[in-house]
Amino acid sequence: MERRDFFKKAITVAGTAAVGGITLEAGETVHPIDNRKVSNIAFPQKRPLITYSDRPPLLESPRDVFTSALTPNDLFFVRWHMPIIPTYINPGKFTISINGLLDREIKVSLKELKTQFEQVELTAVLQCGGNNRTAFKPTASGIQWGVGAMGCAKWKGVRLRDVLKKAGLKKEAAWIGFNGEDKAVYNETANFVRELKLEHLNDNIILAYEMNGEDLPYLNGYPLRLIIPGTYSDSWIKMISNITVTKERQKLHFMDHAYRIPDNECECETPENLVQKTKPIEEMNVNSIIGYPVTGTKVRSAAELIVRGVAFDSGHGIKKVQISIDGGNMWEEALLDDGSEGKYAYRAFTYAFKPKNSGKLTIMCKASNEKGEAQPFAKDIKWNHGGYKYNGIDEVTVEVVL
Amino acid sequence: MTSMKKLLLILLLMGTTLFAESNTGITMPYIDFPMKEGKGMYSTKGKCNMCHSWGYTINQGLQSKKFWREKVTKMIVVFKAPIRTQKDIDTVVDYLFENYGNGEME
Ligand code: HEC
Repeated sequence: MERRDFFKKAITVAGTAAVGGITLEAGETVHPIDNRKVSNIAFPQKRPLITYSDRPPLLESPRDVFTSALTPNDLFFVRWHMPIIPTYINPGKFTISINGLLDREIKVSLKELKTQFEQVELTAVLQCGGNNRTAFKPTASGIQWGVGAMGCAKWKGVRLRDVLKKAGLKKEAAWIGFNGEDKAVYNETANFVRELKLEHLNDNIILAYEMNGEDLPYLNGYPLRLIIPGTYSDSWIKMISNITVTKERQKLHFMDHAYRIPDNECECETPENLVQKTKPIEEMNVNSIIGYPVTGTKVRSAAELIVRGVAFDSGHGIKKVQISIDGGNMWEEALLDDGSEGKYAYRAFTYAFKPKNSGKLTIMCKASNEKGEAQPFAKDIKWNHGGYKYNGIDEVTVEVVL
Repeated sequence: MTSMKKLLLILLLMGTTLFAESNTGITMPYIDFPMKEGKGMYSTKGKCNMCHSWGYTINQGLQSKKFWREKVTKMIVVFKAPIRTQKDIDTVVDYLFENYGNGEME
């Protein structure tokens, strides 16, 4: 029981119970750690968030952020790979270089991006592939996120396709590599470079300079970042300053080893028997989370309780969100918002009811999408060594008082 | 009306300076992640806090000896952490397991 005394204070009742019951060999999943406390130190342009590291900054949004379709910029989670991040960028001087297999290599300034290309705006969920990683036992490699390594914002910018068009792609072009301004401390550590297959390029992929109507916060990639709606955020490069077009994919740790899952039907493996053939994580699976109430909230019996949360998938569209207050036997449909933010955005949901008996009450939510996929129970999710793509049915446990 | 206009102008100017200020960059806070006292702490400090915070390391929670050994190996092989001798590796792994271990070898 003492395994995690580092986080002991913050672990909820459910979390503690789960940690106690581990069989280490099997590889299994439980509910991710919940209710870690926010720090008392705020990072620039942010409200205090759950803080794992300052160098590089790793900040998680607390659960109660997830009650509305858009996540406020100052509550949006932060994840950097490389610790050296410019703390000042002059927007008047900033340019992005487009080079490689092109008719002409170009540098485009922020001003040119804002004036010489069609401006587009779309709302999309940004979620780390390892969100909820604490659900995986034994511990999967990577940041031990709880439920809050995600957010949803309205992004404004220009189409990547339009910018590449201006430079003119050569016939042999097959891969697009992206690199941002963050750097490793040690000169032998490889930089965080990601690549996109040209055939996956589409009109929704944008270079964004605005987030929810404001400049991007520095910690979310000011002044420019890549947005790839529907996919996990491993390739949504922040402070993006270089794009290189090549014929062959470069050899890269972050492409060849990180952000990959077993290439089999269940996308699963066991710790003793890791699957050799892997594939990139890419498309997000269907997910939902309760933002209010949170575990430990005291609510009155017979008083109306409005459960609030958000649901999303990779863009097939959310069909329904269901709520259970009896441990997952009976499910009732929650009300979904009008979906006007588009298919890559959160759908906010509400479910109103009056708790009857006093004592502990567990509320669960489950989303299904238009493709017919639904969230599995936490325990039915299969383990993978990177701890990626967890989408177990969420739950919070409140205390009903008379 | 003119005083109104003046006020508007002042507000406008204030707005511009505020905006300009928001673009003078950020100052990152320093956050202390204290290391548990123990044999090998100073050696580990020098080796593991070079590229990232101690917070990044202990975010893994309490782990087995095998886990910590693999993590240190990953740092050397993948990110080129300059930890060159077996003795140095053992010191770090022992410190991690002694102070951030779960009691299990594997
Ligand atoms: C040469 C630079 C460097 C040194 C030295 C270094 N690390 Fe790291 N470490 C990294 C980088 C880069 C990452 C981030 C990887 C990513 O973003 O996915 C990382 C991530 C981690 C993580 C997060 C989990 C993971 O697997 O990515 C842990 C834990 C960690 N380091 C532990 C250590 C320990 C323990 C030491 C001391 C032996 C150490 N590091 C020394 C570069 C280094």
